[in-house]
Amino acid sequence: MRRVLAFFAVVIAVSVAIAIVSVRNINRAVAGSDWVNHTHSVILETEGLRADLFIGDGAAHAFVLTGEPKDRSASVNALSNAAEHVDYIAALTRNEPAQKDGVTRLASLVDRRSDFIRRLLSSRQSNDSNAVHALLVQDSGETVLNDIQHSIEKLKNDELTLLTQRDTAAFIQAQTTRWTVWAGVILDFTLLAGAGLLIRDDIAARKRATDALQTLNYELEDKVKVRTAELAAANDQLKIENIERKWANLGLQHQLHYNQLMINSINDLVLLLTRAANITRVNAAVTRSTGWEPHELADRPFSSFATLTYDGPAPLIDPVTQAMNDGREIRDQHAVVIDKRGQKVAARMTLFPLRDGDKVVGSVIIIQAPGNGTPGGAAVATQT
Amino acid sequence: MTPKQFADYFADFAFDLHPFDVQDPDVFLSTRTGDCIDYAVMADYVLTKDGYDTHLVRIEMIGKNMGHAVCYVTESRAYLDYNNRRYFFKLVRSGRRLREIATLVASSFDANWTFASEFTYNYNDSMKRVVMTVVKTDPPDTDPDVHGATAPHARPGS
Repeated sequence: MRRVLAFFAVVIAVSVAIAIVSVRNINRAVAGSDWVNHTHSVILETEGLRADLFIGDGAAHAFVLTGEPKDRSASVNALSNAAEHVDYIAALTRNEPAQKDGVTRLASLVDRRSDFIRRLLSSRQSNDSNAVHALLVQDSGETVLNDIQHSIEKLKNDELTLLTQRDTAAFIQAQTTRWTVWAGVILDFTLLAGAGLLIRDDIAARKRATDALQTLNYELEDKVKVRTAELAAANDQLKIENIERKWANLGLQHQLHYNQLMINSINDLVLLLTRAANITRVNAAVTRSTGWEPHELADRPFSSFATLTYDGPAPLIDPVTQAMNDGREIRDQHAVVIDKRGQKVAARMTLFPLRDGDKVVGSVIIIQAPGNGTPGGAAVATQT
Repeated sequence: MTPKQFADYFADFAFDLHPFDVQDPDVFLSTRTGDCIDYAVMADYVLTKDGYDTHLVRIEMIGKNMGHAVCYVTESRAYLDYNNRRYFFKLVRSGRRLREIATLVASSFDANWTFASEFTYNYNDSMKRVVMTVVKTDPPDTDPDVHGATAPHARPGS
């Protein structure tokens, strides 16, 4: 793509260059044309000068012969026009040093001839035939008109030489312009052809890339389909597992519910202790017998609820803790339970260590109190 | 008389070429026929008398009979051209320099100009006198009127 853009940038640059060069050459051609026109003007003015001078001269001689005012008027007009031509020739050649001397000489000769004609007209106007005769005699040996002719011819030849040079320059300029434009056009077409080839290659490369992308898309779609099928299967499996887990949970809840019913159906006090001998759970008989709510007993040390009684002195280590340390049971020992009102009630206590594998993690306490209507009292369980 | 009023007077004049000779003004007005220089010289004569600053300009183009004369009126910043006498806009706005006037006049002919001259004309002696000439191929900064000044010249008919 960059190469194509670079080609087009070069094409645009070449086009702009062609335009600039062409406009410049056109301007030069116009300037050359102006110079050709200029040369023609000089030649026309010199021809005009020659014609007016001879008309003025001839009309002056006619006036000498006829005395007709129209001949005098024609001569005066022609001389006026001749002077005008000299002015124009001088202006047109003022920047041509080679012509300057010739034009100055020509102007001087024209002045001399014009002065002679004016004197002739004046003498004839005043009917001074002697003066007229003298002027005509003087003029018979003059070569001014021939000199003027030669000067005009020289000037004209010089201008024609210049015209040839300027025409040659204009022709070469036109040729240069032609070559520049054609060369530029050919270069532009070559560059455009190159750009076309690049575009063709680029399109082919893009097509290949599109095909490859299409293939990848198909492969990806296949993989997505496979993965989707796998996910769908996994989802089905998960659903089945969820249903099974739900059933298992329901079974567990059912089992828990019956376990709870079983524990709560026991009239003895049943407590579950941690390994540190703190109460974690109690059955409904505890609340009925002692007035303690389960949350009031939770995390309390078992010793604040019930203690074993001895006939002799009490052991230094708490027997409940010791029994769990030893992993042994305590069966049917005398104990005292402290109810919510703070009254101590005599009871009998049994402790079963609660094992997880070979490790004691807590204990179950069962306390049988005489007041709970069941022989044997209450049960208490402990757990870590 | 304003330049516009002057031009209006010639709206129905006919064209007849007299190769750069100025007709007698009485003949021009009575025959109602003339060419560019008759009209330009007449404008120069009349408008100068009415206090306008006018300049006669001859523009030379290449080819046969391709000289053309106009009368530039400084106050209007425009020139009077016999070829425009029938149009609504008879004055052509232009700069004062001969090069500008020549370019506009030549454009109206779809032609190139070669040189342009400011000149005077006197009805009494029928003499045209060149005041200055600008040549197209010369560098514009060497034109005689490059600084805008015009050489003083005698008024026609004076």
